[in-house]
Amino acid sequence: MPNVSIDGVEYEVAEGRTILQAIDDLGLLMNGVDIPHYCWHPKLSIDGSCRLCQVEVEGFPKLQIACNTPVKDGMVVRTQTESVQRAREGVMELLLVNHPLDCPICDQAGECKLQDYAFEYGLSHARTEEPRRALKKRYDIGPTILLDQERCILCRRCVRFCREVPETSELAVFARGDRSTIDVHPGVELDNDYSMNVADICPVGALTTKDFRFKVRVWFLDDVPGVCTGCSNGCNIHLGVASNKVYRYVPRRNDEVNETWICDEGRLSYKAIGAPDRLDASELRHADGRVETVRRDQAITLAAAKLRSLIATQGAGALAGIASAHATNEDLFTFRRLLDALGIESRACPVPTGRSDALLIKAEKAANAAGARALGFGDPAPVLDRLRGGGLEGAIVLGHDLLGPLGPDVSRLGSLDTVILIDTHHSELERVADVVFPARHAAEKLGTLTNHAGRVQRVQPALEPPFEAYAEGEILTRLGEALALPGFEADWDPRAVSKRMAQEVRAFAGCDVDSVGDSGKPMPGGSA
Amino acid sequence: MSLSEQVRDGIAREMAKYPKKRGALLPALHLAQAELGHISVETAKELAEVFEIRPIDVMEVVSFYNMFYDRPQGRHHVYVCTNLPCSLRGARTLMRGIEARLGIEAGETTADGRITLGHEECLGACAYAPMLRVGGTYHEDLDLEKAMQILDGLE
Repeated sequence: MPNVSIDGVEYEVAEGRTILQAIDDLGLLMNGVDIPHYCWHPKLSIDGSCRLCQVEVEGFPKLQIACNTPVKDGMVVRTQTESVQRAREGVMELLLVNHPLDCPICDQAGECKLQDYAFEYGLSHARTEEPRRALKKRYDIGPTILLDQERCILCRRCVRFCREVPETSELAVFARGDRSTIDVHPGVELDNDYSMNVADICPVGALTTKDFRFKVRVWFLDDVPGVCTGCSNGCNIHLGVASNKVYRYVPRRNDEVNETWICDEGRLSYKAIGAPDRLDASELRHADGRVETVRRDQAITLAAAKLRSLIATQGAGALAGIASAHATNEDLFTFRRLLDALGIESRACPVPTGRSDALLIKAEKAANAAGARALGFGDPAPVLDRLRGGGLEGAIVLGHDLLGPLGPDVSRLGSLDTVILIDTHHSELERVADVVFPARHAAEKLGTLTNHAGRVQRVQPALEPPFEAYAEGEILTRLGEALALPGFEADWDPRAVSKRMAQEVRAFAGCDVDSVGDSGKPMPGGSA
Repeated sequence: MSLSEQVRDGIAREMAKYPKKRGALLPALHLAQAELGHISVETAKELAEVFEIRPIDVMEVVSFYNMFYDRPQGRHHVYVCTNLPCSLRGARTLMRGIEARLGIEAGETTADGRITLGHEECLGACAYAPMLRVGGTYHEDLDLEKAMQILDGLE
């Protein structure tokens, strides 16, 4: 493996990489070794068009672009010399010749590389007096994205992305030289399952998403690391949160999971968090169908009483535990403990399914289906058979994914003696439930989710729900306490539960909420 | 108007010369344009099918080279050199004069479809500036009246 000296420090780097790639491999890019760059992206082919990443390489008469110069054993690279600095200033000046400098009304301001580098390397005034190019602004190029051709610096990241990642090629550079513009083909919109990634990789304000545009200035946002819950891929994300509201998901790099991408559907799934149909209070359904909103503890007392009397008369065999593949491992571990303590053996987890592709989109449309299986909540068919065929008198149900496989038999559920529902959103299931508890979304609680490949990943509270809502595990713990079951006395502490789960469940050994870190960790046994 | 069998055969012959058939896109565009006069979006679609690429990949190339046209052209291409030496000898005034007389701007075609007017970069005739070309024919040492005589003589 070649040894390369970068700014006086020796590194061993992989064969066949370019200088910039090698620095990125070492985790040093913009994190110790600052080489500004626009066109280079770790997950796209090399373009070499922006010329900003020039560095000094000993033995070369001129500066070389770091993104496209292969490393060689004994290479000496300097990234912070005066000539490098001057080259950066020159490139910045040229890139800004036609830029409108409309930062005050540009939604990219605050996370704009042109702004950042202009601040660092740019001149304080323009030396050109010629009129700037007048091109299309607010140009609607598809259902998700607006293009501002004037702001574009022609780095071609978006063009390469569409060619190389979704392989849909909607974007191209038309004309050449100082007349070049990014555009779509007449009659073909930028419309693919990953289209909004172009706004993330656009280093300037040329490509913005219609969804996030002008919603909030980015400097008001806290970026909370989390996981997308749209499907079982578990793409790593940052939740952009301001004033206790999630404004967007953006992908967070994890080469093991989603590289630097996220699908559009997952990206927009943040809307479920603040949706108007969130369950926001505990409810009791009376025999006459009247629904009463109550305090949580009153609902707990009543649910416990109903469970106690049902078990006393019919036995625990008449009950089933239906898990949700949206709940965390910690919630489901608590559910398992409760069912164990009550002697309820009939368990299942319905998983909604949908479309999948070869890239990121998985068929299982829930974030923790693998975790539910690892904790013993499997195929719902046997439980559904029992429900349809009789022999079931009660159920504790998390989430409403049962509605799919249940179909018109949902009324059967209504005829059961006791149905306790813990859910995040309103659904038809509420009408057949005796007691309903509002649950927290994965963005509102600490815990872990297991993705399709058996990778345990952490979610943490990015916001406080503006109404009464609890982690499923918390409600189940309080229920256990009200039933006087041993081991359910303590306050809900997902961290402690996670550690206990990692100790007690072999599938989760070493995978508690702290040890998985921000980028997750594979379960020791692999996928369940 | 779609690609004739002749053009398609020609493209197939060009393709055989290249290790990757996409390499033959430029000669193919020349063949198609020679027959059809310009490369329309429909032609790009046909070529894209032949080359198993996307229409946008064809139009990107068409837009890159100024010898390819993406819209119908006049019967005569009139290009006025507006590079530095010609400009120093009055080419820009000449161009503005021609534009005014024809009633179009550079890049446009007269309503009767007779002339498409355009800028040209250096054609190597600086010693005879200003100059223009009509198709492949150079006309040199021009002033507006001389130029208009030449243009008026075009069918």
